[in-house]
Amino acid sequence: MALNTIHSKVRGTANANSVIIAVGGGKGGVGKSFLSSNLGIFLANMGFNTVLVDLDLGAPNLHTSLGEPPPKRNFHELLSGEIETLEECATTTQFPKLRLITGANDHKELANMNVAEQSILMSALFKLNADFTILDLSAGTHTTTLDFFLMADRHIIALTPDPTSIENAYRFMKAAFFRKIKRFDRQLQIDKVVASLMDSADSMGIKVPADLLNKIAQVEPVRGAELKNIMNKLRFDLVINQTRSMKDAQLGQSIQTVCSKYFGTPVHYLGHMDHDNAAWHALRKRKPLILEYPHSPIYSQALSIARDLASPHLKKAVV
Amino acid sequence: MSGRSGDQTYYEILEVSMDAPHHEIVRAYEQAKITYAPDSPALYTMFTAEEAQELRRLVEEAFRTLSNQTKRKDYDHKILGREKTTSATSNEELPDFGPIPEPTPLTRTVTTPISNANAHIKSATPTPQATSTQAVPAGFAKHRFGVYEVKPEVEEEITKQLSFDGPFLRKIRQYKNINLEQLSKETRISRSFLAAVESDDFDALPAPVFVRGFVVQLARLLGLDENKVAASYMEKLKNKGK
Repeated sequence: MALNTIHSKVRGTANANSVIIAVGGGKGGVGKSFLSSNLGIFLANMGFNTVLVDLDLGAPNLHTSLGEPPPKRNFHELLSGEIETLEECATTTQFPKLRLITGANDHKELANMNVAEQSILMSALFKLNADFTILDLSAGTHTTTLDFFLMADRHIIALTPDPTSIENAYRFMKAAFFRKIKRFDRQLQIDKVVASLMDSADSMGIKVPADLLNKIAQVEPVRGAELKNIMNKLRFDLVINQTRSMKDAQLGQSIQTVCSKYFGTPVHYLGHMDHDNAAWHALRKRKPLILEYPHSPIYSQALSIARDLASPHLKKAVV
Repeated sequence: MSGRSGDQTYYEILEVSMDAPHHEIVRAYEQAKITYAPDSPALYTMFTAEEAQELRRLVEEAFRTLSNQTKRKDYDHKILGREKTTSATSNEELPDFGPIPEPTPLTRTVTTPISNANAHIKSATPTPQATSTQAVPAGFAKHRFGVYEVKPEVEEEITKQLSFDGPFLRKIRQYKNINLEQLSKETRISRSFLAAVESDDFDALPAPVFVRGFVVQLARLLGLDENKVAASYMEKLKNKGK
């Protein structure tokens, strides 16, 4: 059976050379798709082989942000065993180096993916032949969303200065953080320690995840340090969208501080994008911003975010 | 008290590096004040009101220390390790002088045990008025604050010394058994300025013209050539300072 054969393939980053960027953020409408599509376009224009993956399983619409018609191929073909690799269902776009992979529009059951399907899709994503793979995630903190977020090399959190968005972004980060701890504490065989520490968190003076990591390191010095190392790799990259004032833009700095205090792991403020009617007009015309309004401030802001994002990987990608 | 506040240094609280200049600390403090303000949206659902209050208190505490050069120096010594702390912050202790400790017992054998013992009691509790009228035992010298044991190798180092910096002045002061309190009383220069002069902490000192006055007074009380010391010290200040 095709499904089994694919499932048995080794999952991992062994032969992968692509940098996976996940764009999440918990709340809907904060500009995840807008950010993903523009990052994709900019990275492709910089000369990187880029693949955009729409993982908003229930409601894929990334193609609309890109100004593309709904793709005919989708990754459901891979899950049902019709095709072997994700490359086959990647559709080309008007941008030479940018390809798009989406979920099917007509399969309603695809909104819920089972673990086996998720695993197949993940291995296929790891094996994608590209410089950058951008995962546009769905809203909410569903475990599937979290797993796709955690599989990435770069973890972008998109949010707006609204309290609702900040609250959801925090919730999303917390959920991702604890899902990662949970995954690795079992591997490191310290799940019992972690569980008992979390049960008696109040009496141990553990208030935030940073305290928990420190306590674990005290109880289990070697494996605790290992866990800390692993958790340090979960570096959130913050992007504040729809900023309307300097104060909004500065909020990113504050959120970065609060998050790194809270989690005890590095958090990075990648940049902000202004609230701009250009974005709204471009979407109305179903054209990407880069083609419609190349002189808008938001264009340069998105470009600088893309550059910052790409810079650590430049050597790796361009050889 | 929460665990994380205990583990973090003031530098980590303000998110600056240990060698951050003053203006960066001010900027970090202003940013931190915005971040931890009671109505800050960034704190929402992450820290409770009490935790935020504690964080604000820590930020204030950190800034109070790091914005004051003298306090910051002391704090740096404190967090840079225990062994450094004991030698660097306790001015009253006599540091190991010279590379070889052998000469000290040699001079001691010259003086008689009784006078030696007496002198130790006196020098340990120097009282400005009482000791000045008393006879000085052999191997000891006196100054207006009391007596001290003469060590030829130290005296030689002082006469040979051409450049006088803060730490060397402190060495001489400690060798002559004078504490900062006495100096401050005599010269009417505040203790913190005297300490700053001795630790070459030029940022904590006032305008050079005042510093020169301090150094001249200090040199006079330590029995040094005030012109030589002041010229040498001011040269140092000019080169190292802003």
